[in-house]
Amino acid sequence: MTSLEELRKINARCIHCRACQYAYSNEPDREGADEEYTGMMLSCPGGNFYGWEGYFNSGRMWMARAFLEGDLKPSQEMLEVVEACTTCGLCAEQCTNYIDTVDIIEELRAAIIESGVEPLKRHKMIGDRVLEEDKRNPYNDPRSDRTAWHDGSVDDKNMKVAYYVGCTGAYRQQGVAKHTASILKKLGVDYTVLTEEVCCGSPILRTGQKDIFKKVMNENLEMFKDFDLLVFSCAGCFRTFKVDYPKQSGKPLPFKVAHTLDIAYDLITEGKLKIEKPYNKKVTWHDPCHTIRHIGLSIEKEILEKSDNWLLDSRKAAKAKEAWYERPREVIRAIPGMDFREMYRIKGNSFCCGAGGGVKTQFPDMANDTARERVKEAASTGAEVLLTSCPFCITNFNDAVKALKKEEEETGKDLSAMGSKLQIVELLELMDQLLD
Amino acid sequence: MVEYNKVTDEVVKKLVAICGEKYVTDSEPLRYSYMARGIMGLEAVLPEVVIRPANTEEVRKVLMVANDNLSPVTPAAGGLSGGFALPAIEPGGILMDMTRMNKMEVDTENRVMIVEPGVRCGDAWRIFKKRWPDWAPPIPDGAPPGATILGDAIERGFSLVTGRYGPQADMIMGLEVVLPSGEMFKTGSWALDGAKAFYRWGVGPNPDGLFLGSQGSMGIITKAAVKIVPHPHFKTIVAYGGDSWEHIVEPAWEIGKYEMGISDNTVMVQGGNWPLVMTRWPKSNVPLDYEFYKKIGIDEYWMNSEVWAHSQEELDFTLKRIDEIYKDYEVKKKTVCKQQQLHPKQIASRLKKPNLIAVPYALYEAGFLFITWYCPWLESSKMMEEYCAAMENYGFPPTMWVASIDHARQAIVMPILCFDSSKLGIYDKIREFNIETTKSFLKQGWINYRPDPFVHAPMTFSKSKDYYRMLVKFRKVLDPNLILHPGRLAIPWASVTDSPSPLEGE
Repeated sequence: MTSLEELRKINARCIHCRACQYAYSNEPDREGADEEYTGMMLSCPGGNFYGWEGYFNSGRMWMARAFLEGDLKPSQEMLEVVEACTTCGLCAEQCTNYIDTVDIIEELRAAIIESGVEPLKRHKMIGDRVLEEDKRNPYNDPRSDRTAWHDGSVDDKNMKVAYYVGCTGAYRQQGVAKHTASILKKLGVDYTVLTEEVCCGSPILRTGQKDIFKKVMNENLEMFKDFDLLVFSCAGCFRTFKVDYPKQSGKPLPFKVAHTLDIAYDLITEGKLKIEKPYNKKVTWHDPCHTIRHIGLSIEKEILEKSDNWLLDSRKAAKAKEAWYERPREVIRAIPGMDFREMYRIKGNSFCCGAGGGVKTQFPDMANDTARERVKEAASTGAEVLLTSCPFCITNFNDAVKALKKEEEETGKDLSAMGSKLQIVELLELMDQLLD
Repeated sequence: MVEYNKVTDEVVKKLVAICGEKYVTDSEPLRYSYMARGIMGLEAVLPEVVIRPANTEEVRKVLMVANDNLSPVTPAAGGLSGGFALPAIEPGGILMDMTRMNKMEVDTENRVMIVEPGVRCGDAWRIFKKRWPDWAPPIPDGAPPGATILGDAIERGFSLVTGRYGPQADMIMGLEVVLPSGEMFKTGSWALDGAKAFYRWGVGPNPDGLFLGSQGSMGIITKAAVKIVPHPHFKTIVAYGGDSWEHIVEPAWEIGKYEMGISDNTVMVQGGNWPLVMTRWPKSNVPLDYEFYKKIGIDEYWMNSEVWAHSQEELDFTLKRIDEIYKDYEVKKKTVCKQQQLHPKQIASRLKKPNLIAVPYALYEAGFLFITWYCPWLESSKMMEEYCAAMENYGFPPTMWVASIDHARQAIVMPILCFDSSKLGIYDKIREFNIETTKSFLKQGWINYRPDPFVHAPMTFSKSKDYYRMLVKFRKVLDPNLILHPGRLAIPWASVTDSPSPLEGE
């Protein structure tokens, strides 16, 4: 589905029941450790922050319906409301009417913009930068520096594997790119990186700027078409290639895609990779929406799309989704010495970090508030380390912890229960440190 | 028709002065976000302004402003199983989103909880699980976590223990009500300064029945004292099949007679037919023939009992007696009521509260509507037969659900009308279907619950004119300017439409 109009009938399934506002709406009764984390929890980042119905998915579905029916005219005001959503997909996970909520929200954003409304200021800015020939990234950094972090193979078209670094790895979290490169080397994967790589388009698509997205998508597809496999370290890029490119281009990908953790997972489960070095810390794990829930939901959907009997196949589809959610845990459990503690909201019901969907750029207060709620949940497990694998989650959590530390300094209060002492660690970085 | 005024900028300023700028909006997209058509009703008018009051005092002040301006007011919080109260008359007026009023006090000694309108079932259940695990809040069954306890109670809805305790309104111990004049009062023993809400009938005649089921048309309820119930932890579900509605309804009645016995343990008794399973899935991706369902062990009709007990022994005894009653019934009626083999996951999902059992029917096509009727329990099989035939005549799958109220004294019968809400003319077809079935059912003395204000309400009141006249009188005492949402009962008719009144001809 590539337009809001095509999603009309799916949107019409919404009966405004508002189950989508809660984590664990759709699961057997769940027992947590205490009153705060047990049963079902209001878990929509936008709705929790703003409170009005329009900031919850349930309200957005009815705004989309009013828009489709021509009752609600597109406006800047409407775009402001629709964009204040991390597109985390917790709502989609809850919906027993299988509404593709994230697709509808993204297509609604695109439809508003296509009708002539300017993208929100900061979103427009990143879209413009991605188009500028000397940049092609949302960070305003020179295109010529894209592979400056790398001292290995560049632009080797004879390689079968390419590492799609993404803009954040290339310009902001070069450590993650370096660790990924190092892991790939340790795992025996020969790869190259391309200096001509352009933004994957994730933040552009999420914020409704589809024309720009299509341009970068087509460029990337053309550029990488002769490789067998593309590997990723960025959750957003991976999701965009794996889920959005086939959907938006209408064609299957010409190459296979894998997140670096997936490669590690395969090797670990096949018994070909064993992590020997211990990591003697109390650790919890945050599921990045892009690589965990979004991919899980797409796996479920793919199975159901082929099924002529959902009554029978829905369980099989849900199992396949659950198996995907389990994968990072298998990797984590393979690390010796670790005291692994799950947070209350995990897997499909994981609470978002608050950065996605263009929110970090345009709505920093909402992003920070959401991250604070999540780091508090992480701290409630007693963990010292909050592990995840997504550059946006890492940045937003670090910002939240920094803010807590600052508040501690200013007030003299101990905010460790809120997460002020948490160390935020990228799993790829940790893996690199532990692998010989 | 009653003439209302539009919400002016001046009124908005007054609302801002009461609730604060942050909690008042006339943003068009946000107003649209509150809309809903389907599941509980098809009528909705865009509110002119939405406010989120924090407490009773703000509600009181807002009502006085609305009353002065002659602006309609609709209170709504989490609603019921889906959707919620929405303005149904032009102009849309003020929509009060009550979700900020979400305080809850629990008194286990007197077995009562006091809830504000915004206390959601999901939150109440979560908190009870940890703080009062041996008590249960009377949350609606089959409704999602966002539905509210107060919404369900004042709607006389259906709770997780309705099979034993009756409709949710029977759980009420006291109300705090605000009227458009700004007057406020409490009902029951609560009316006495400093008294607890321990005695529903209070210090004199109790007017709470005027507000229960009024959907806010008589006054805005800002607090309710509601009974809490014991929450024993030995629980299960048993289900028995049958070859007709009669053969699942009658044995449930036999069990229901054991009040002060095993029937008290069967807190929830509900049943349905095989299309109730089929229509949970997309029409294009599920077998449409009963043969498939038969093959996977689903009877054409079934009734299940949710049993709660204080010990395994009590649970086993109850299940044994239920089984014996079914066996006796089989002999008596020369029929077969086979016990259904439930997967542990089916039991777990049924026992889970709140649950989404009532939600997935939009998947069959793209929309659905619950139409709900009450009738004496043993008459429910006749109603369901008639209803299913009418549904098929109109091209709807005959998806039907039934549940017992108060030890199988009454039945709540609920056809689930699955339809494609994006299809032109579908709402007219539903209206015709409603008119036809309502005509027949009213003749048989059955009562619509949550009526369509343009079909069930006028048709019902045209056959209960004296009662309607009294309701209008009461309403005019409590809300002389008729600014409150007229509710799905549409009292008085003139506040809703210029169409002929139910009293036409007098």
